[in-house]
Amino acid sequence: MPDVTARGVRFHVQAIGPPDPGRPVVVFLHGLVLDNLSSFYYTIAGPVADAGAHAVLYDLRGHGRSEPTPDGYGADDAVADLFGILDALGHHRVHLVANSFGGVVALKAALARPDRIAGMVLIEAYGPGEDAGWVEGLLNTLTASALGLEYDRLADQLLAAGWRKTGRQIAAADALINRTTLLDDLARTEPVRPAELAAVRCPVLAVYGQHSDVAEAGRLLLRTVPGCTLHVMAGHAHTVLREGTAELLEVMLPWLAHHAGTRVPVTAAGGAR
Amino acid sequence: MSDDALTQVVRMLAEVVGEDFLLDVEIGRDTTFNDDLGLESIEFVALADRLRDHYGDGVDLAAFIAGMDIDEIMDLTVGDLVDHIAATEAAHA
Repeated sequence: MPDVTARGVRFHVQAIGPPDPGRPVVVFLHGLVLDNLSSFYYTIAGPVADAGAHAVLYDLRGHGRSEPTPDGYGADDAVADLFGILDALGHHRVHLVANSFGGVVALKAALARPDRIAGMVLIEAYGPGEDAGWVEGLLNTLTASALGLEYDRLADQLLAAGWRKTGRQIAAADALINRTTLLDDLARTEPVRPAELAAVRCPVLAVYGQHSDVAEAGRLLLRTVPGCTLHVMAGHAHTVLREGTAELLEVMLPWLAHHAGTRVPVTAAGGAR
Repeated sequence: MSDDALTQVVRMLAEVVGEDFLLDVEIGRDTTFNDDLGLESIEFVALADRLRDHYGDGVDLAAFIAGMDIDEIMDLTVGDLVDHIAATEAAHA
């Protein structure tokens, strides 16, 4: 699929499965900095499309193959970008599947436009929290990375040594962290507090790793969101999307079948895929 | 047919990753996307777009890789892809 321009920014968009009017639209929201739509493209987007959905994946601004901008990296801008892209594609009401930072975007989108978000699968979602400290862990990790990137010139060294992929990934992270307002935008992003979570009207499937640093966010979702189901993946930490793909699909495909009207693949029940 | 497919795949790779990088790499059937080319996952997605534009929906990289995990995908060689294109074209001939 070609790029889509929304809010003056060019976004790289991929669609899997035909856009038949009868198919539910499922939109995927990826995580920050080193992430992009490929983490869904190679894992759960294909099986979700096979189950009868029209899967829409896009790179957040400044990520993957979407246009870098100097600013606009907070959750509120990401929500506006999401609806801008959906408007450009002609999709009004959709289901969201979000990983990590994508989760706070999904929650804020559902609160801003409950008429447009029919349901959400939140995988290792950041965002639910009692106070503004919610983003500290994320910021600390990113800030430490930023300092290392700035002083080591690691990307240049890796590229010179022929480590093209790692060098390019680190150069992209360096550009985002050190040459945009991303860290400041994140620091200003408010958590989604319990009173707001109680107002989420759509059904939510939350999936967290047992040993995840953000597992408490999953328990908070379960306590506060009226239509929330929580699935904890034993033995996993934050990387359930990549390392727990089969179990994740076994949980989310039946959930999507129930709430979005997709099919339950035979392979999902047996876990053979 | 497969020689032509190899030429096309090399051209598409040059578009995706940039000519200047590819000047240093001799691409053949045994070239791996990950170790030899250092192709990023997102660039593999961009390659899929170009394959679909050139060959039509028959060469569906998403379907081709659907049964593989990400490590298997990154172990793929240019020859694996060329064979897939040839098999798809033969099936549609």
